[in-house]
Amino acid sequence: MSSNSGYVEEAPLVKGNHTFSSITALVADIVEKPTPFWWYIAFGISNLLLGLLFAMLGYLIWEGTGVWGLNNTVAWGWAIINFVWWVGIGHAGTLISAVLFLFRQGWRTAINRFAEAMTIFAVMCAGIFPAVHVGRIWVIYWVFPLPNQMQMWPNFNSPLLWDVFAVSTYFTVSLLFWYVGLIPDLATLRDRVKNKLAAKIYGIFALGWTGGNRQWQHYEKSYMILAGIATPLVLSVHTIVSFDFAVSIIPGWHTTIFPPYFVAGAIFSGFAMVMTLMIIARKIYGLEDIMTIDHIEKMNIIILVTGWMVGFAYIMEFFIAWYSGVEYEKFAFVNRAIGPYAWAYWIMMSCNVIAPNFFWFKKMRRSIPVSFVLSIVVNIGMWFERFVITVTSLAQDFLPGSWAYYSPTWVDVLTYVGTFGLFFSNFLLFLRFLPMIAIAEVKMVMPQADPHYYDEDGNEPKKSDQINEPNIKA
Amino acid sequence: MSNTESKTYWRSLEDLSRNEAYKDYINREFPEGAGELSDGYSRRNFLQIMGASVALAGLAACRKPVQKLLPYHKQPENVVAGIPLYYASALPFQDYGVGVVVTTNEGRPTKIEGNEDHPGSRGATNVFQQASILDLYDVNRSRAVRHNGEESSWNDFVAFCSSHFADRNKNIAFISEANGSPTYNRLKAEILGRFPNARWATYEPFGAANQLAGSEITFGSKLRPHYHFDKADVVISLDFDFLNIAPNDVENSMSYADRRRVQSTSDEMNRLYIVEPGLSQTGSNADHRLRIKAGDMAAFTAALASRLSSGVSGLEAFSGVNNEFSQHSWVSVLAQELLSNRGNSILAAGNSYSPEVHATVAAINAAVGNAGSTVEYLNVPFLDDSYNPDSLRNVARDVRNGTIDTLIIVGGNPVYNAPADLEFATVMQQASTTIHLASHIDETSKLAQWHVNRAHFLEFWGDAHSYTGELSVIQPVIRPLFGGKSEIEFLAAILHGENHEGYDLVRESWRNVLTSEFDNSWNEVVHDGIYRQTRFSSGNTGLSSGFNSSMRSWLTSVQGSSSSDIELIFKADNRIYDGRYANNGWLQEFPDPVTKITWDNVAAMSPAMAASIGVRERSFGETTYDLVTITSGGTELTMPAWIVPGHADNSITVTVGYGRQNIGASADDIGHNSYILRTYDNQLAVPSVTVARNGRSYPIACTQNHHQMEDRPLVREATLEEYRAKPDFAPAMVYTPGRRPEDGKPKNLFNDQMFPPHQPQWGMAIDLNACTGCGVCTIACQAENNIPVIGKREVERNREMHWIRVDRYFQGDKENPKVVHQPIPCMHCEQAPCELVCPVAATTHSDDGLNQMTYNQCIGTRYCSNNCPYKVRRFNFFNYAKNWLEIDEDPDIIQMAMNPDVSVRFRGVMEKCTYCVQRINRAKIARKNETGNSIKPVDGAVKTACQQACPSQAITFGDITDQESVISRTKSNERNYLLIEELNIRPRTSYLGKLRNPNTELV
Repeated sequence: MSSNSGYVEEAPLVKGNHTFSSITALVADIVEKPTPFWWYIAFGISNLLLGLLFAMLGYLIWEGTGVWGLNNTVAWGWAIINFVWWVGIGHAGTLISAVLFLFRQGWRTAINRFAEAMTIFAVMCAGIFPAVHVGRIWVIYWVFPLPNQMQMWPNFNSPLLWDVFAVSTYFTVSLLFWYVGLIPDLATLRDRVKNKLAAKIYGIFALGWTGGNRQWQHYEKSYMILAGIATPLVLSVHTIVSFDFAVSIIPGWHTTIFPPYFVAGAIFSGFAMVMTLMIIARKIYGLEDIMTIDHIEKMNIIILVTGWMVGFAYIMEFFIAWYSGVEYEKFAFVNRAIGPYAWAYWIMMSCNVIAPNFFWFKKMRRSIPVSFVLSIVVNIGMWFERFVITVTSLAQDFLPGSWAYYSPTWVDVLTYVGTFGLFFSNFLLFLRFLPMIAIAEVKMVMPQADPHYYDEDGNEPKKSDQINEPNIKA
Repeated sequence: MSNTESKTYWRSLEDLSRNEAYKDYINREFPEGAGELSDGYSRRNFLQIMGASVALAGLAACRKPVQKLLPYHKQPENVVAGIPLYYASALPFQDYGVGVVVTTNEGRPTKIEGNEDHPGSRGATNVFQQASILDLYDVNRSRAVRHNGEESSWNDFVAFCSSHFADRNKNIAFISEANGSPTYNRLKAEILGRFPNARWATYEPFGAANQLAGSEITFGSKLRPHYHFDKADVVISLDFDFLNIAPNDVENSMSYADRRRVQSTSDEMNRLYIVEPGLSQTGSNADHRLRIKAGDMAAFTAALASRLSSGVSGLEAFSGVNNEFSQHSWVSVLAQELLSNRGNSILAAGNSYSPEVHATVAAINAAVGNAGSTVEYLNVPFLDDSYNPDSLRNVARDVRNGTIDTLIIVGGNPVYNAPADLEFATVMQQASTTIHLASHIDETSKLAQWHVNRAHFLEFWGDAHSYTGELSVIQPVIRPLFGGKSEIEFLAAILHGENHEGYDLVRESWRNVLTSEFDNSWNEVVHDGIYRQTRFSSGNTGLSSGFNSSMRSWLTSVQGSSSSDIELIFKADNRIYDGRYANNGWLQEFPDPVTKITWDNVAAMSPAMAASIGVRERSFGETTYDLVTITSGGTELTMPAWIVPGHADNSITVTVGYGRQNIGASADDIGHNSYILRTYDNQLAVPSVTVARNGRSYPIACTQNHHQMEDRPLVREATLEEYRAKPDFAPAMVYTPGRRPEDGKPKNLFNDQMFPPHQPQWGMAIDLNACTGCGVCTIACQAENNIPVIGKREVERNREMHWIRVDRYFQGDKENPKVVHQPIPCMHCEQAPCELVCPVAATTHSDDGLNQMTYNQCIGTRYCSNNCPYKVRRFNFFNYAKNWLEIDEDPDIIQMAMNPDVSVRFRGVMEKCTYCVQRINRAKIARKNETGNSIKPVDGAVKTACQQACPSQAITFGDITDQESVISRTKSNERNYLLIEELNIRPRTSYLGKLRNPNTELV
């Protein structure tokens, strides 16, 4: 091939000249090898936090919602903030596995399993809050349309009710999608593990997978269908979460921009969370060949784009508040920037709108430490976004006589901290017992899986380490 | 009511099973201060909580406990279960009584309303009267006679009296509260006749002694002023809080508001001027308000009299007076107003000002012809020398001299509230025998040898003069819960040495009043609650011969205070008065009408004063405030500083009654005792104190955190002129961006709810021009609707439970703000935003237009509260009702105060104003029974609790489909407007715009 053809080869998705079997070994060995010592420490800490969560929830349910910092004016606080935040984080998984799958983005295979697991655990953390924040949790089943002798029926006009269905549907589909994707890899583990009991358990969940042609055919169809089902859910869940606010009449909540803005924000925070976890995991488990720096760069670009979508929404809200001419609306937004909660607003702006701009620079995009730090910064910013929306709008609404300042109690804080215990306990179990990378899917995007393995001249393609980094000159 | 002796009121059957614990409790000297009012958790139940967190199986414990009632086995006479009975009675307060109607349910008094036939009430009440029902069920009331700290009995006390008072020459001193009961005063006279060496002092920390002494200077006898605000075009108040805590405030508010209830542009309105140091509730309603130091009031009054002396006769004593107020613009304006409204104006001064100030005021009223027309000076037969301002000091002196051997204190609490320099605690120890009648084992009782537990006025037979002299019988509606005795039974025991029943004592007095057909007339009076023939006669308002000379000698000493000295003013508290209501949880949690503070007293000062001592203004969200140390005569008082716009500079106002120990659950450790700085000579104010910030801060529970309206059209107001030019100024203030006038009313996206024509449609209107912001609506609602008290900590977290609150906003500059009040109940929006968002449909609309809250169906998402633009919904964050109703070891007592028609709300459910749905439904049922088909009660048949209590009748309520109803006519007033109308939520509660009547010369 002539050197000046101008053809730039795609960077390979898997580096390090792996074969199918070395990929299998790379991922499956993590599960098969003895549990590393650090894992016990991490799991122990996570369990302590999980215990803290249960203690806080028990205390809450025993005493009443009053143990939180809520008041008459600000009746939703950290619980709802945490709910929206965790649900937002839970967005990346399905987006990566379903939407990117439908768009044939091969690079998703390196991170989809991982992100889906994160999604499921994040939604579990999120799901706690709408349940426990109610005053009488023992009758919470009244939100379900269960025929009963009391002639009670839920109010289908209420966004909170939509929430119940949206989040539970999302969780179910995400779980199903994740599980279907796991089946071939579970079969691989079944075949590899030495421990008979483990083989038995993996075998049960592998559903008799043999890797036959027909099985693959069914598998891929069902995966495609699930991806089709999951894709609208990616949009719907956070849209409906945003309705909790947008359907109300409170200035700062009553905003039509909320659905797209919330979805963009969710993707933003979800990708950031995947990034945080991935940077740790690839280092510890030596998976840099699969979760490559190119992946990190692609994700950083998405963070940059969604960050600006969110930033646009922030600015647009201000414009609309001014343009609408509604005094209460104007006040609500100006008050966010200069009022008693301005500190929260400016944390949000710095973290979500200013910080991602580092990713305009390729060097930053491809820097592991920068990516790691910014991914955490983004999630701090997104937590504050929900704080700003929820609290500042309520604290100072229509009648100044009823305004009230909200601040959390120690129970609010420790409950939030405790949810990390739930999240990481689950996540560590996942890392330990399940293949954290979709082995089968990664193999599909390797050159070896390409039926046109040889190039047009009949040569074997270059090994991945022989291809230079793409060098696109502006 | 039978008059047989009974030791305690019946109790529940549970008492049988825990009698030992109960006896143990009543034997303890001091009821335990239940400091756990607020925080729902303590160390004590921490382990339980942790246990539950491990196993959420404990969920079953959260279930509402089920208790089953059994119906009457045999129906008692006159009682239909569920139908309340109403009894007329009278509520004694200081030296007058107010007619009330007491609601009792199955023998339990549950609500007090005003007696419409009583001139001092006209159906309305004030906060103290509304809250007095709770005092009946105060578990911390004393439950036994005590002798030297040991439990004794009434019989023992009577036996002691018969031996101790057998000697007629005993040197006895009585200290009593002011009391207007004919029977009481008959016994008093008999006692003074029987014991020639007895002397009597009447002491009220905020009584009318100075005013009476003033009228004695002017007119030669103690005359009580009765103000006819309904006849006055101009009202000038010199720090006289006549709408709030001054005597006869209910009638005052009613007649004052009669002149503010403008129906059309042709109506006239009165004009209120107030000159005062602190911002009082009356001052907050003034058309013009001047802030001057209390120490300047005498000079101001003298300057005013002097200015008038050239125009009218009778004020010659003041001619030629020249002081720093002589050229003040207000003096000339007020003089002009008084002169051009002769006989149509009122001048009045606050009770604590010196007798000479009152003498001057009385002389001015007489000179401009107000006396006898707008200000009636009444002869009150029982105002004897014991009402002299110095009577308490003389008794204290006599005890110290050893000339008194028996000191009898009939009510009152002088050890706590007497001037500090009388050192009453040591006085108590110097008398060889001390006897105290008191409802609580208070500061005085602890030092008294004999403590006699006093009954509540709902428990005894008594009688009372109204402020203007009409008589009422106080009839008991329940047997004494704790075996207490009334003051007349107490006095009778001292007089006769034997037990006399109050019933007999009262009837004996009334035999002189009702001379013919005694039994019939008696029954009639007891039934009606009023006997009108005894109205006090008008006194002689000719100037006394000594007036001019005493005024002249006074005027030589009158001067303004030094402007740089910081004065400390003592005021009765808007919530607990002089401390007598300190253990009343409703009142402690009632937001002060001006400051909106609960559960505390503060040192109120102006913004400039605060800045000068380094007290920082608190920003939104801060709940701790600077403590300042006020020093006077070597005594230090540390209190939180509170900035009140409009307070006079170099002046601090403190209220009294706080800082109690071992009184009861609601009183203990609340606030700071400011009586320690109040001395005999400085009962109004200490002219010079030092004050400094002490560097520490202190949490205060204030129910309002922001005090400006932010230019929002919430309270819409205009001057009378502007109103006449533009009668619809209030509804015209709605601004909906983009909407043109031809677009008409905002459209609804959804189908409007259809209201069936056979149903009434309820609506409410609140006239902001009549409303004075007193807040009795809040307490009346609390009493009617079983609203729990939640404690300081919870109020500090902004979780107050009141269903109707009164928002108070300041406008204009900080030094001379305009103040507005706005009561906010649930608006019962037709397009209620709360209803849309509830996931379980727990809040829905009724066919008669109520936004109803189904407690049983509520799961507590609080979404409705978030979406309420008025923020009127209240959430049970903890099990407030349980905490409140089981505040003590003796929960049955307070539970008796509950209204059986209103559900007690459980933890985790939302609640809010219901428009008193229980009253509505009672009226609808009655109407259906009467007519057979209609369920539309006749107009006026339903009164909400807030409406009924309101002394300015600012609230109207009724069926808006009835075009003839009062509510329909009120809502058709041009001033009628809807709050945040532009949201198109169509509230059923509307407001009538406020009017001011400024004097163009002062604008």
